[in-house]
Amino acid sequence: MTHVATFLLSLGGFVLLLLVIPRHQQDWLGRKLFPRQRRVLRLAGLAMLALAFIVAGGGLGWAYGAIVWFGWLTMAAALVVTANANRARIMRRVRP
Amino acid sequence: MGNKSFRQSMAWLHTWAGLVPGWLLFIIFLFGTVAFFQQEISCWMRPELKERAVSDTALRGASRLLMAKAPDADRWIVTLPSDRGGDPLTVTWKSGTGEAAMSGKAILDPASGREIAVRDTRGGWFLYRFHFELRYIPYWLAEILVCAAALAMFVAIVSGIVTHKKIFADFFMMRFGKGARSWLDVHNVTAVLALPFHLMITYTGLVTLLFTLMPWAISVQFPSRESYFQTAYPPGPERASKGEMIPPLLLDEVVERAKVLQGGVAPGRIIVEHPGDVASVIQLWPSPTRIGGTSDALYLDGSTGKAMQRPPTSGLATASRGVMIDLHAGRFSGPVLRWLYFLSGAGGTIMVASGLILWTVKRRSKLPDPARPHFGFRLVERLNISVIAGSCMGIAAYFLANRLLPLNMAHRSDWEINGLFLVWGTAFIWIVARPAKRAWVEALAACGVLYTLVPVANALSTTRGLIPSLIAQDWVFVGFDLTMLATAAACAFAAWKIATHRLQAAPERKACKLAETAT
Repeated sequence: MTHVATFLLSLGGFVLLLLVIPRHQQDWLGRKLFPRQRRVLRLAGLAMLALAFIVAGGGLGWAYGAIVWFGWLTMAAALVVTANANRARIMRRVRP
Repeated sequence: MGNKSFRQSMAWLHTWAGLVPGWLLFIIFLFGTVAFFQQEISCWMRPELKERAVSDTALRGASRLLMAKAPDADRWIVTLPSDRGGDPLTVTWKSGTGEAAMSGKAILDPASGREIAVRDTRGGWFLYRFHFELRYIPYWLAEILVCAAALAMFVAIVSGIVTHKKIFADFFMMRFGKGARSWLDVHNVTAVLALPFHLMITYTGLVTLLFTLMPWAISVQFPSRESYFQTAYPPGPERASKGEMIPPLLLDEVVERAKVLQGGVAPGRIIVEHPGDVASVIQLWPSPTRIGGTSDALYLDGSTGKAMQRPPTSGLATASRGVMIDLHAGRFSGPVLRWLYFLSGAGGTIMVASGLILWTVKRRSKLPDPARPHFGFRLVERLNISVIAGSCMGIAAYFLANRLLPLNMAHRSDWEINGLFLVWGTAFIWIVARPAKRAWVEALAACGVLYTLVPVANALSTTRGLIPSLIAQDWVFVGFDLTMLATAAACAFAAWKIATHRLQAAPERKACKLAETAT
């Protein structure tokens, strides 16, 4: 359960961080966001990653949880990269 | 070099610190990654062992066997499998020294405690040992090579971070079908996303090689390596035998006591000095189960079972080294974290491979005559194929040999390992003889076939094939067979991608561009 929560929080965090980058905003949202929106997204994304750390550390012990957190961060980021690389395919399925 | 910028000189350093030891680094990463599952691999490679954890019945059986076979031995050594299994319960006895030395060994089933015939294999242990001691070369040479490669890896990581211009802007960037750009993306993404892992595994890897890399701290302060170890790890209580015999403590009681005294940590090895003597001492060495957990032995009085005075525990430096080695090996991890370790390690393996391939991809377009590349280019290209695809074929062959070699063969475990290198060597010769693209396709296709055959050979030669294991909910066997099939699928996919590369890449890229501009 802790593992799932850590992963989902990391995933959410990285999705928000992806949308901070202007090039990806254009790709996924079809428009560029304002600097203030970007700042909110960045803070929210980092907060979710931090929360994932707290969940992992609290649930599994801080030493073990910290290692687990790094592992799930990598997996979550890898999933976001995979989704981003297949954006055209995903978009076609969502909006044919 | 003189007027190059800092970043350019770092890029140069990254290229060559990565390329020269690159093939050895690939081997270290690949086998090290596989070794995160060494116990599970051992489980699969010793299908005779049905139960994993050791039972009290088995421990009592081991005690009875030792008392019957070696009541007068100077020492009994009992090696217990961990909860992850893969190893039998092994008892060894030794007496006398020099010419009069006698010893014996028995392999017991961890559940029943009866003697059991287990095929002669080194299991996952070999894959683990190979990632730092290599094979067929002296240990000191392997150590130097691995140390140099690990140092170069660290240099490559740091210079790579400096060279990478846009870590954050390109954090999520991955573009397919764009030649060198795509290979660079793969290299960057696998490097950056698992960067904490790469830094940790390389640094802690260096720490495991500490005594080879930094021998001077010891040589300045101690007359010899032995005297250092005597000081750093002082021996436990020793007692001369008195010749007065009493029935020795049973091993299951000993383990129970150790668990109580060590806070639940089960011993991995028990050594009984002068068994049966009133002055007997029992040493219990813990198996690593938690990060930074103790690796100090517990000493019990062999006649009363009371804990004895331990030697002073080593200092903080030794403790920090212990934590780093724990982090490197990940033996403390549960199943989920173990998979995370494995996947991060796979990322590192892909990072090294993509770096090696990138070297050739970048240079191919700049060759004066692409049909007749110069020697250095051809050497790198062939080494890439034969090391990357060849080592994968070798590991599949190792698993196949475990199932196919006759069980009573002499030096069977050695032949399993020779099988790995015979297949790898044959692949090497084949790859050198073929055109590069065909070599990639054929080697990866062969990998796909070999990995598909592993679960097939398992199903045909044991009663623990994929379907019976699924019914029995034996997740280690199911997981192993499914991982083999997934590896086969990945190799086949890669072979197919390379085979169809030139024919489809160009129009597909155009279509992608069109689709992008349309949306």
